[in-house]
Amino acid sequence: MDTQQTLERAETILQAIASQFTRPAPERLDAAVAAAQLPAAVEALTRAKFGYLSAITGLDHPPAAPKAGEAAGPGRVEALYHFCEGAAVVTLRVAVPYDAARIPSIYHLIPSATLFERELGEMLGITVEGTPVPDHLLLPENWPEGVYPLRKSFTGKIEAPPAS
Amino acid sequence: MESQTPQATPKKFIVPIGPQHPALKEPGHFEIQVDGEIVTSATARLGYVHRGIEKGVEGQNWTASMYLLERICGICSHVHATAYAIGAEKLAGVTAPPRAQAIRVLVAELERVHSHLLWLGVAAHEGGFDTLFMYSWRDRETVMDILEALTGNRVNYSANLIGGVKFDVDDKQADQIRRGIDFLEERTKHYLEVVTTDETFLRRTRGVGTMTREQAEELGAVGPVARASGVPRDVRVDAPYAAYEQFPVKLVTDTGGDLEARFVVRMKELFECYRVIREILDKLPPGDLTVKVKPRLPAGEAISRVEAPRGELFYFLKSAGGTNPDRIKVRTPSLCNWASVLVLAPGHKLADIPMMLAGIDPCFSCNDRLVTIARRAGAETWTWARLRQYGIEYYR
Repeated sequence: MDTQQTLERAETILQAIASQFTRPAPERLDAAVAAAQLPAAVEALTRAKFGYLSAITGLDHPPAAPKAGEAAGPGRVEALYHFCEGAAVVTLRVAVPYDAARIPSIYHLIPSATLFERELGEMLGITVEGTPVPDHLLLPENWPEGVYPLRKSFTGKIEAPPAS
Repeated sequence: MESQTPQATPKKFIVPIGPQHPALKEPGHFEIQVDGEIVTSATARLGYVHRGIEKGVEGQNWTASMYLLERICGICSHVHATAYAIGAEKLAGVTAPPRAQAIRVLVAELERVHSHLLWLGVAAHEGGFDTLFMYSWRDRETVMDILEALTGNRVNYSANLIGGVKFDVDDKQADQIRRGIDFLEERTKHYLEVVTTDETFLRRTRGVGTMTREQAEELGAVGPVARASGVPRDVRVDAPYAAYEQFPVKLVTDTGGDLEARFVVRMKELFECYRVIREILDKLPPGDLTVKVKPRLPAGEAISRVEAPRGELFYFLKSAGGTNPDRIKVRTPSLCNWASVLVLAPGHKLADIPMMLAGIDPCFSCNDRLVTIARRAGAETWTWARLRQYGIEYYR
């Protein structure tokens, strides 16, 4: 089966679950999936023996700078689940707002996903609900709560105390 | 299935040595629960060499980011730089010239040779087979000398630019490479024979750490570990990049799924490396080494997958149209393979753990790691050296 056929097969598998499909590159299919639908989307792919989960990327979408007099818009974080088969890469894209940054775990379907899920949690502040051991994978135990290094708002710099 | 937790047993307090200890080369922490000799559970804590490179590149321009990314790994630096360069070139809408692509593959295969020989020595050492360790590392000096002559460096070759490569290959270097490869090919034939016939070594590897094809697929294993369980997965074959379409490699698999199979697959892959290296030297395409790329890459997202010595390396790049990357996500192959070992470990003997861990060729290699062995009577912290010695003596 060539790459185009593979991508079409994935689209068919995800037809009823994804809300939008795009083809950002000849070998890639992106499928927007609501957080609540993520386990169903992953199950559809694994049941159809489509590829393997290669990686989970986390993206920060901070709110755009507000116009004068307006409040800032909502910020979102997005998790991209990349499934590879041959040269084809099918990416499930799940976006959640900062104030409800929760995504269900897919550990029960793909056990090795837990390492990727832990990284999403500590680096971008997405709570992956149901991942068995949600301890920090990379960050030290004493890393401050609520500080997510891969969010754009984290600069690694401490505010200088005001000059007295 | 869980060991009983001790009741009023007095705990032994053993001051932990690390993981951040001055003597440790690359730390990691494993926690292994045992019931007698048998492992009942295993978890890992990583991150001791976490350097924040993904965040770091957001503050560097596209050119400078190359220097950070190629230092993610000392053993497979070139393949990181290649994945990044290809991804950035996708964003820029350019392709590196054919000669540059061929040189990228040449260096990548030389890197695979050094990496597999390094691993052979390390894995032999973990199993107490120090003679094999010494010989393989002596022989590895041949490819290290080649890499130094070609690139100027034994480690971190810095061969890539966005748009091409920094150096060419001349006839004198080509001859040195050919002679070195001839020597290494003879030595590899010998090593393949040793790992499949040495009885003492086979007791540590045959039938140990077996992972079925189904398990390998379910656990998301990649690279030689997956191929040793019969999974036909290799990015160079599945999704050829750089010059792999012009210089294809054959997929090397084994059905054994055990540690012995992992040795055999890596040795056989070396023969493929030697063959492809010779082919590239014989048919190096003429032409430029670079194509021009502007300092700002157009906005967009790109995915780049390459086959590192340990398995699939996955890069996701995002540009917001500026001089710096907006986001670069790097998923290294070892992260996939850790999960496989941690899930497989229960049911195995504690004495098999050092070899099982070495068998996945973890990205930190040949060094002290901290291991917590939790027995019924309380937890102890062992150094890696002690765990390794335990395995050697068990099989003596």
